[in-house]
Amino acid sequence: MRTPRINLKELEKIKEENFRERLEFIDRYVEWMKKTSNKT
Amino acid sequence: MKINITGTKIEFKKEENRLDRFVIDFTSLLNKLQIKYVIVSGYIAILFGRSRTSEDVDIIVEKLDFKTFTTVWNTISDGFHCINTNDVKEAYEDYLSSGISLRFAKKNTLIPNIVFKFPKIDLDTWTVQERKKVVVNGHHFYIAPLELQISFKLRLESEKDIEDARHLYKLFEETLDMTLIREFNRKLKTQTLFQRYLQ
Repeated sequence: MRTPRINLKELEKIKEENFRERLEFIDRYVEWMKKTSNKT
Repeated sequence: MKINITGTKIEFKKEENRLDRFVIDFTSLLNKLQIKYVIVSGYIAILFGRSRTSEDVDIIVEKLDFKTFTTVWNTISDGFHCINTNDVKEAYEDYLSSGISLRFAKKNTLIPNIVFKFPKIDLDTWTVQERKKVVVNGHHFYIAPLELQISFKLRLESEKDIEDARHLYKLFEETLDMTLIREFNRKLKTQTLFQRYLQ
């Protein structure tokens, strides 16, 4: 099976971008939690 | 755990967890629209029994034009909402087409969510092309080839990712294409990690 070209620097950049997107999501989630009542 | 593997199809039964149900609900909408997609990353190990959960499920979707994406958006909106924006044009132009993922969750929730993205690099395009069909309890969806998943998890290098790689490797050891794993290990420079943690 033919495999694709892989640029490791490109992968590292994407890994960092994904991490930043997850951090942004955490901010959004915490804001949402603050506005949401506790389930009992 | 009995798993039937035939050609490009993996079929098995399991007790569905909350994340399985969520993935089945979302992918059934993409299946209905005949959209080509592939699930990558952590959920694959969870699907095959790894004892952990995840906040998100990564899905690479073939690049869609705006009209087709709007159809997908409207269909998904039946049970899910986009966390990033309520505007379909903004979702397409400012996010997907700019290389930024969208997150979709069930209405009134944020977790779990689908991380929805277009292919960014050759590896993403290859993964969509070479996707494998999984049939679980009669529902089907598509995942990345396990050989890539194992090498890629090693590349990510966290303890969680190495454990996921080991889980998949040990579970599917007898059916994996070792030539393909060696090729990905070479390209991703994960040969040492593979020898240290998987063998």
